[in-house]
Amino acid sequence: MNSADIPSDQSPSLDPVRAYLLQLELALESCDPALRHDALIDAEVHLRASIAAGTSPAQAIAEYGSPEEIATAYRSIPTTGGSLRSAISASAASAGSRSETVASAVDREASVSAATSADTSATTSATTSAAASAAAAHSDHGAASSRWKSLRRIPLVGVWFHPIAWRSLAYFGIIGFPLALAYFVWVVTVGTIALGMLPILIGLPLLVFLLGSARALSLFEGKVVELFLGVRMPRRTQPVVGIGEGASQVGFWSRILCWLRDIRSWLSLGYLVGNFPISLAAFTATLTLSVMGLVLVGMPILDLFGLPIGVAEMDDSTRIHFLFTEVKPDADGKLWLPPGAAIPSFLLGFCFLTATLWLVRGMGWVYAHVVQAIQVARPRPAAPTR
Amino acid sequence: MSAPLDDKLERDLSVGTAWLVVLATIARAEEPIHGYEIARQLAAEAPEGLSFKQGTLYPMLRTMESEGLLRSALVPSSEGPARKCFTLTADGRRVLVAWHDTWRRTNKWVNRVLGGVDELR
Repeated sequence: MNSADIPSDQSPSLDPVRAYLLQLELALESCDPALRHDALIDAEVHLRASIAAGTSPAQAIAEYGSPEEIATAYRSIPTTGGSLRSAISASAASAGSRSETVASAVDREASVSAATSADTSATTSATTSAAASAAAAHSDHGAASSRWKSLRRIPLVGVWFHPIAWRSLAYFGIIGFPLALAYFVWVVTVGTIALGMLPILIGLPLLVFLLGSARALSLFEGKVVELFLGVRMPRRTQPVVGIGEGASQVGFWSRILCWLRDIRSWLSLGYLVGNFPISLAAFTATLTLSVMGLVLVGMPILDLFGLPIGVAEMDDSTRIHFLFTEVKPDADGKLWLPPGAAIPSFLLGFCFLTATLWLVRGMGWVYAHVVQAIQVARPRPAAPTR
Repeated sequence: MSAPLDDKLERDLSVGTAWLVVLATIARAEEPIHGYEIARQLAAEAPEGLSFKQGTLYPMLRTMESEGLLRSALVPSSEGPARKCFTLTADGRRVLVAWHDTWRRTNKWVNRVLGGVDELR
């Protein structure tokens, strides 16, 4: 299927932009949903602007490119940011230091190659000294990265070397719950006031305001989730005029109507409420497991440095057990790790911490994909009819 | 045999120079500029016989933004969804200057070498 298949705008029953977007969506089927979402919005914004400027829909689509060409261009977007910039910096610095060495457009090519493959860039960039230095830097980086990745493949404990696991731990153990609490309080407070004021009509605009704020908060949550859980979120808010809507003017009321009709508004609202109990459970589980793990790992370390694991004032009837061994305070009331308990304690703590990392990583994957699904949800455009 | 090769240079050059001309178009705009306007200006100034698919501009802009060369802001539009308008960051300006320098030197070198093949025409 290509742009030539798109019928012209002669048919009153078919919006050519809508037909093109459907084809583009199909061409991007194998892409990340957030990237597909962005690509569709880019295309829609561009084509509507082009048509509004007087270009015929068929010409605007032809100038934009066939769905396959555009899909290929989007698939080539590097998945990690910053790598290209560092390659550019290395290249530019080296170019500045050399005198009249022949520089070529290969510089940039080498930078792009370096961003995607250190091996390829090493071959491509051998033609210039600048590109070679950029490639060498990236080659070192690539080797270190490869070593790091091989550590991640170690069964069970490989999760310790996975940055996403640590970021997920930060999300579920620190930032996720306070945010979820703030969202919940906001929705419940404004929602209750709005419902209470419905009889005097002020409630209605308040409810619409709540819906708008839910969309904004959901977008913000998406950015937080992308940062901590590493799943790409759309770079664009959803269009005010959805795919297939032929409206050319977006007024205040049509914007509000769009919010009300958009399934993402309601999904966002549901997420902000439903996220609270789930975040609470995730926060509790993460904190309990990680604190237990840290305590179990920490006690043998304290013992190693000749420090007590605690201080207790208790009567004779109280008994404290640690790993099936009774722990008795000394004359000063200090509790010491029982002999032989250090290694089991450390291993058990390590197991708890590893389990915590696996748990947060798993929860993070599910969470991130739920948030992504909410943000990219769109009514699938109907198949064009000829 | 040579027919597929006829376009090879054009394709290779467009890959190499697209970033440069896009950065330059954004740099010379007096206000934040949106994707459609960048595409329009590039199409208007493209020499005859040279064309580029405007849709390929957007993934390029995204990559530039994620690399810190551009910053963007959404500006409401009366013609549909809000438009994303771009400006160069300090890094973007620095890279543009470096690439411009590279381009001038490359251009000089290529012209010098090509001077010797004029008689083939």
